[in-house]
Amino acid sequence: MAPPFAVAVAAVSSSSPLFSSSSSRPILRRHPLLGSISVRPRHRSAVASAAATESAGKLLLEVHGLTASVKETGQQILKGVDLTIREGEVHAIMGKNGSGKSTLTKVLVGHPHYEVTGGTILFKGENLIDMEPEERSLAGLFMSFQAPIEIPGVSNYDFLLMAINARREKDGLPALGPLEFYSVVSQKVEALKMEPKILDRNVNEGFSGGERKRNEILQLSVLGADLALLDEIDSGLDVDALEDVAHAVNGLLTPQNSVLMITHYQRLLDLIKPSYVHIMESGKIVKTGDSSLASHINEGGYKSIASFV
Amino acid sequence: MSPPSLCAAPPRAGPPPPPLLRLRRRAVSSVAASRSAAPSVSDDLVLRIAEQLEDAAPSSPLLDPLRSASALSLLTTPWPTRRSNEAFRFTDISYLRSLPISTPTRTPGLAPPTPSSDLDSHVLFSDGRLVAASGAHVSALADMPPGHARDRAAAAVAASARFSHRDIFYDFNAVGASDVAVVYVPEWAKMADDPVHIMFAYSGSDGASLMMSNPRVLVIAEKGAEVAIVEEHFGVGEEDGGCYWANPVVDIIVEEGGRVVHSYVQRQSPAAAHTKWTTVQQNTSSKYEFVEVSTGARLNRHNLHIQQLGPETETELSTFHLTSQNKQIHDLHSRLILDHPRGFSRQLHKLIACGTGNGIFDGNIQVNRYAQQTDAGQQTKCLLLSPKAVVNVKPNLQIIADDVKCTHGAAISGDLDPNELFYFQARGVDAKTATDALLFSFGAQVINRIPFKAIEKKALAQLKELLAVSRQNN
Repeated sequence: MAPPFAVAVAAVSSSSPLFSSSSSRPILRRHPLLGSISVRPRHRSAVASAAATESAGKLLLEVHGLTASVKETGQQILKGVDLTIREGEVHAIMGKNGSGKSTLTKVLVGHPHYEVTGGTILFKGENLIDMEPEERSLAGLFMSFQAPIEIPGVSNYDFLLMAINARREKDGLPALGPLEFYSVVSQKVEALKMEPKILDRNVNEGFSGGERKRNEILQLSVLGADLALLDEIDSGLDVDALEDVAHAVNGLLTPQNSVLMITHYQRLLDLIKPSYVHIMESGKIVKTGDSSLASHINEGGYKSIASFV
Repeated sequence: MSPPSLCAAPPRAGPPPPPLLRLRRRAVSSVAASRSAAPSVSDDLVLRIAEQLEDAAPSSPLLDPLRSASALSLLTTPWPTRRSNEAFRFTDISYLRSLPISTPTRTPGLAPPTPSSDLDSHVLFSDGRLVAASGAHVSALADMPPGHARDRAAAAVAASARFSHRDIFYDFNAVGASDVAVVYVPEWAKMADDPVHIMFAYSGSDGASLMMSNPRVLVIAEKGAEVAIVEEHFGVGEEDGGCYWANPVVDIIVEEGGRVVHSYVQRQSPAAAHTKWTTVQQNTSSKYEFVEVSTGARLNRHNLHIQQLGPETETELSTFHLTSQNKQIHDLHSRLILDHPRGFSRQLHKLIACGTGNGIFDGNIQVNRYAQQTDAGQQTKCLLLSPKAVVNVKPNLQIIADDVKCTHGAAISGDLDPNELFYFQARGVDAKTATDALLFSFGAQVINRIPFKAIEKKALAQLKELLAVSRQNN
């Protein structure tokens, strides 16, 4: 089987002639740093056996030619996304506002606002498009919302307990009682340096921006996930909070599970090191590289990527 | 002493009635006279009920001024109908006419076991009769020792005879109330953390009549005093009490700088009728916090009337009504009258209507000429869970002052917020379970404002149960 990186590059070249590998070669010469990345990701090259383990990592998510539109208006947002994620990988998607990054994660988890109009999504070999949102979650997909909504009247604790018991029911385990669950959840709250009182409060009600983001990661750490889709978990977080959140996410990473994060900022990528960075534009992934692609954007903006062609 | 007769007043053996009672009898015997003299202004049904209540109510000199005034008023008040009375335009009260009225027997021999309260201060009404009142500031009006508190309470009861917004239900209560439970909190006394638990237990008669009860409570928080009351209305005995008509009145006076924390839980039997008046007078810088949870009764009508008597008052009203059975009617008519500057008020009304239930909300806020710099907010949210459920919502703000901040919003929807549902689903909880949780939370948002854990918990448990039942039925 082809290594994922090759798949991604192939996808880019097939979907966008502007970003064909041949046209990018002269630019690589002008930017030796970027060139070295594209050919052999620096992060991975540090680990001698990187390539070998990657190709051994099992396929987790395979997205091919995914197109999707807003259900109500029919406006097409995703215009042929190709993305492959294997176990143990950390991916980051960057791109301008409105390029379809958030939509991609929402479509992956089955948000009712969007309609898949074409392409395929396989998660652990199963067709994700036919699954209900809750089935996708139980299958091991987790999305942290960019703007988590408030649920007045439902306490955070009850919400988490319902979610964990839905998972346990699927696994054939007996439901946890409120008392048993407390010891599980209180550790996670502590690890995220959150106030224990956060559990008694209603879900996201009156939470600050930072509290909401931490709360999303708290849910992730309680529920676990094979693939976590983190949509701008860094926005609205101060430096310390970002470190807490990143620390929690890193703590969840194992050779078996993976993360796909959306971000605008280098700082998050310094804390959670991505194996791959994808650039999204107009509903497609137009470029894939390693973490130095992100630093390139950080310095020169998206223009600098566009100026390659 | 034998019950006073309404029509004829033959002299009977026993001590002579006090002068006030005589006056009342004269007034009431004119009721009988006018029945034949002017049938066009009097309503037979109203008079018949008034007579029955008169007959059953024991004499009580302190209540007489109020009784006389109400008896007179009932002479000329017709039974309200949807066509004749704007306040009942959407509320079908024909259930009250479906059975003849009966009054509780004077001997409580077969009374079902009465519930007990965990709280030190408590009051118990059984079928409208005041059977227990204990606590530092709690007493039956008739048992109050002579002195300032008694004079104050008696004057307040007498003054309610002049309450201009009353309707026949207020008057029925005045005529039929046997005594008044008084919660009198003297100046600067603070007891907001130690609520007075007022329990109203009701039971039906044989099922061939509606047994009518008229319990009455007066709460006075003097200057700087703080008091919390928890009102609970429920049926006892077989079938949760079965068929009865509860017609309670609670009058509350909050003096300058005082604070009243009021929780109200109505979980009457599904066959009961419940017509309730709550009147509140708020003096300067006083605070009134009210939380209502009404889930019971076939017909439920709550008139909530709040009158501002001085500037800088704070008023918080949170109410939740659930019609979980078919043909159930839940009606909240609230009126907040602001006549003084810098008042602050927040009102939230939530309503779920299932099956063929009917919810009514008329929320009136009057910001009058001198109520400048008032900050008044009102919000109502209704959920209709079936195509045959009906809600009639009439939020109305009458603003005459020109320097005010008033907001209001009314939302009626047939579905839960899809974004909220999705949030649950995204965490692995299926849509059905999420729907249950969200419906529960819709009501819990109000119930959570009850400041007393035990009461709050009980109300939440009952909500959960009723939602489960109504889902099975639909």
